[in-house]
Amino acid sequence: MKALRYASLLIVAASLLLGVVAYHLRATADDELPRVQLNADNIGPRPIEDLTSKSVPRDYALAWQTLEQALEENRTGLLDGYFTGFAKQDFTQRINSQLKSELRTRYTDRGHKLEALFYSPSGDVMELRDRAQLDMQILDGGKVIYDEPVNAEFTVLMTPGADRWLVRQIQAIGGEKP
Amino acid sequence: MPTQLTIVLMMLAALSVSASEIHAPAQVTAGTAITIRTSGSGDAMFYLVGPASASKSKVQARSDIPVDSDQLEHAGRYVAVLCASDGCTATNFFVKPAAANKLSFLVHPSRIPVSSSGGISAVAIVDDSFRNIVLQPSPVTFSVMAKNEKPVSAARTSENGVAWVRLSSAKKEGPTRLGAAIGHADEIRVVQQVAADACNLRIKASRGKRGFLIETDPVHDCAGNSVPDGTVVSFTASDAAGKTTVDVPIKRGVAKIEMPIEGQAKITVASGVVTGNELEVAGGQ
Repeated sequence: MKALRYASLLIVAASLLLGVVAYHLRATADDELPRVQLNADNIGPRPIEDLTSKSVPRDYALAWQTLEQALEENRTGLLDGYFTGFAKQDFTQRINSQLKSELRTRYTDRGHKLEALFYSPSGDVMELRDRAQLDMQILDGGKVIYDEPVNAEFTVLMTPGADRWLVRQIQAIGGEKP
Repeated sequence: MPTQLTIVLMMLAALSVSASEIHAPAQVTAGTAITIRTSGSGDAMFYLVGPASASKSKVQARSDIPVDSDQLEHAGRYVAVLCASDGCTATNFFVKPAAANKLSFLVHPSRIPVSSSGGISAVAIVDDSFRNIVLQPSPVTFSVMAKNEKPVSAARTSENGVAWVRLSSAKKEGPTRLGAAIGHADEIRVVQQVAADACNLRIKASRGKRGFLIETDPVHDCAGNSVPDGTVVSFTASDAAGKTTVDVPIKRGVAKIEMPIEGQAKITVASGVVTGNELEVAGGQ
């Protein structure tokens, strides 16, 4: 009887512990998603739909999350989810040349302020301006050879896919040390 | 005390002499070769990381490092790093797009009903030869080249690298060519214009083997264009037993079906939102 009571207590304690661990892991995963704020006040000629105004910043954040992972781990396959066209082609090329030179790039993402500039009449392309705050490190093997915070500015083209918005082109147009 | 100060100053002077430095032009045009100047002494490793490339090579510090034009085709931020025995030093520079001379041309939809006002969206993204987006305003000419008709064109100036226009489809069905041009470069897309909704939909009935053969006249839109085969026409028979609707695709310009009808019945026809005439038939007569 006593053993059964101890066993029950142990199960309850283990469940609580697992719950805490699961909650913590989820919070960590959420924290990893870069912060993206979208301002669509000046978008045109097509007005942005409610659903699109939620999915664009979400998918752009996921695109950066996968890009940062892909550039740090040199895994081109990670680009499949949220990149297409020239963006996918260019980052694939970058990762392949990083692999060849045994280099890696690590970004610590401190957030993006997205401003929607253009949404085509048929809704098949959106142009945005991203003001991003990043810490960039370049590593040769395990050695950090470059480490600098950057306030970067990008012109971004996104296009709708089957169930998400994809980054079609991303081009840095400015940036400086904060 | 003066001796110590002298030693410190000498050490600082020695450090400043041997410390590696790297200098790149502040801004470069895409596809242009540059030279990166370095100072310092001894063997060093030179790294260049750009939007679509990352390279490393052994160099001698205090030499000019040539960077080929093909390494600088992608617009964006580049980081150049020189690592020598005394550590790493870095500089960054921007590659800006070259002159506009290409377009990415997006036209939607690829099929459109005739006489659709502003129904075609044409968007041109202005690029340089290396497919970098050119943000400076550039003149783009859009044109519509319909068969047996005079081309019509409209000029727009790109804003943030994008120019766009809304176009209406012609009154006649068939393919039409849409173009966008910048300088000597142009892009063409073809949009298929198809008949609009059916107009004056009419049916006739005749006796068949198992009931009535209901058949439409050749189905046209209001401009006289043939509604394409495959467009669905719905036949509805209403009699004492209730309503029966059958959807039939147009084949060779007409839609037909044989309906078994007992007693008095009313037959109607519709295609999309368009309704046609009504027939009253009686089975067994």
